[in-house]
Amino acid sequence: MRQASVATDVDAPPDDASPSLLPFGGRFISRGRLALRSMYWLGSLLAPHPPDRPAPVSAGVMRELDALGFGAVRLVAASSVLVGLITVFQVAYQLAPYGAEVVSARALAWFVAREIGPIVVAILVVARSAAAIAGEFASMSANGEIDALRVMGLDPVKYLVVPKLAALLIALPTLTAIAVMLAVIGGWLGTSVVLGYNTALYLEHLHESLAIRDVGVGLAKSIIFASLIGIVAADEGLRVERRVSAIGAAATRSVVYCLLGVLAADTAVNAFVYFIPGLT
Amino acid sequence: MTGVAPVPAPNDVAAPALRIDELSGPARAPVLHRVSLTVPRGGSHVVLGPMHSGKSSLMRLALGLERAARGTVTIDGTSFDAAHPDENALRRARRRVGVVFDSSALVSRLTLLENVELPLVEHTAVDATTARRSATDLLREVGVVREIDRTPDGLSRLDRRRTALARALVLEPAVVFIDEPGHGLDAHAAMELDDTLRLLQERYGFAMLICSQEVRYAFHWPDAVSVLAGGRIAEQGHLEQLRHSRHETVRRFVDRRGAA
Repeated sequence: MRQASVATDVDAPPDDASPSLLPFGGRFISRGRLALRSMYWLGSLLAPHPPDRPAPVSAGVMRELDALGFGAVRLVAASSVLVGLITVFQVAYQLAPYGAEVVSARALAWFVAREIGPIVVAILVVARSAAAIAGEFASMSANGEIDALRVMGLDPVKYLVVPKLAALLIALPTLTAIAVMLAVIGGWLGTSVVLGYNTALYLEHLHESLAIRDVGVGLAKSIIFASLIGIVAADEGLRVERRVSAIGAAATRSVVYCLLGVLAADTAVNAFVYFIPGLT
Repeated sequence: MTGVAPVPAPNDVAAPALRIDELSGPARAPVLHRVSLTVPRGGSHVVLGPMHSGKSSLMRLALGLERAARGTVTIDGTSFDAAHPDENALRRARRRVGVVFDSSALVSRLTLLENVELPLVEHTAVDATTARRSATDLLREVGVVREIDRTPDGLSRLDRRRTALARALVLEPAVVFIDEPGHGLDAHAAMELDDTLRLLQERYGFAMLICSQEVRYAFHWPDAVSVLAGGRIAEQGHLEQLRHSRHETVRRFVDRRGAA
């Protein structure tokens, strides 16, 4: 019985993620192409899907969400409480000479929502997952799994990169929201239990200082960081040659470039927000 | 085979399933020089050669996985320039090919069943139930009967190779490329796989290009054999011709390995 091939046979953009098919190297070009291709498939993931058709990409997103998102909750939770405590002590120490330790909740809420929350979560996800993503893809390249997918006309970006990227895009903002809440709880522990200030006062300062735009900027940062971590780690894994010895190097490079990328992106967003009235 | 795979009509049923003309490459560091061979429809061609003689490069270049320095590849009537492949032609040609890599190259994140289902999901409009049934049937046919819902981790090499074979056959290809079919298998397992290959080829009539350093494949499929040495075809023909080759290297290779 013959059936017509579905449109993906001819409509998909050319598969140019292969290092051997990139005449002009350069990480920026390669990552830019990977980002564009991932956006194409992310868009198709949002399109309506017939209920009786298998959905391996959506199933992959759920699997990755479990590994990259749920798996990081305990780590993020514990770190966030500690970060809240550390921040309160540092700010209170600076304000003590002026007798203003009590207002450290103001600095905490603002700083955690805009800066510490997204950055800490991004660094924890890089430490936990960037090397794993790059190592997995590099190992697949070395074993010929990526070649096997290409020969079968299956785009590795669609089946391997997009599930991880989509999972990171869901997980990082969620983890950032959790981190901000728990850092605030950590701050309360420091202010009320250790420094001995009134809980009601802490909540009042928190309410006065924390604006929706602070949370919005923090979540926007986390979305940028998620894209960056997903693309950089995947690119480092996919661009290795077919050698087992390249796997470790790819994992190391991915952590280094992801950390640098996150810090650079954070700087850029901060500079941008600084000059936009209403966002500071 | 599965009864659901789309089978594009071949452009020319009289043409060979695979034709490689003057293939040299890879472009960045050529190891293969002016290699030509054909595989008739339903037939086989065994490429023999010692390690690093260029067998794997031949497969990769013929599949467009690496850029060739020159040469043309025609798969089931679709030709592409291996040095500057047209993306659409390459995609059409690959659509008619099944490949079993020496490492099996199953996607480690997916179960055996999902590995076999994936080409069906991508290239056909089958529903989930049909895709699952077809993949299960094919896995049974190649001899993988248990634990198809597990990932390939911890699976025996024979079962990995069989699963890779099922995945290669699921879209009813015109030609199947097999790199080192006996790689890492003991004699008994390798024999089992040979029997499965022969049975499936008889049943479904696909062509096979087998690249190996083991001469026994030439004894199993003796009609068309090429011996690669130093990236060139030293001799090509029926196995009997090779045993009386004027090249001592070829005679020694065939006799020594055959005796082993």
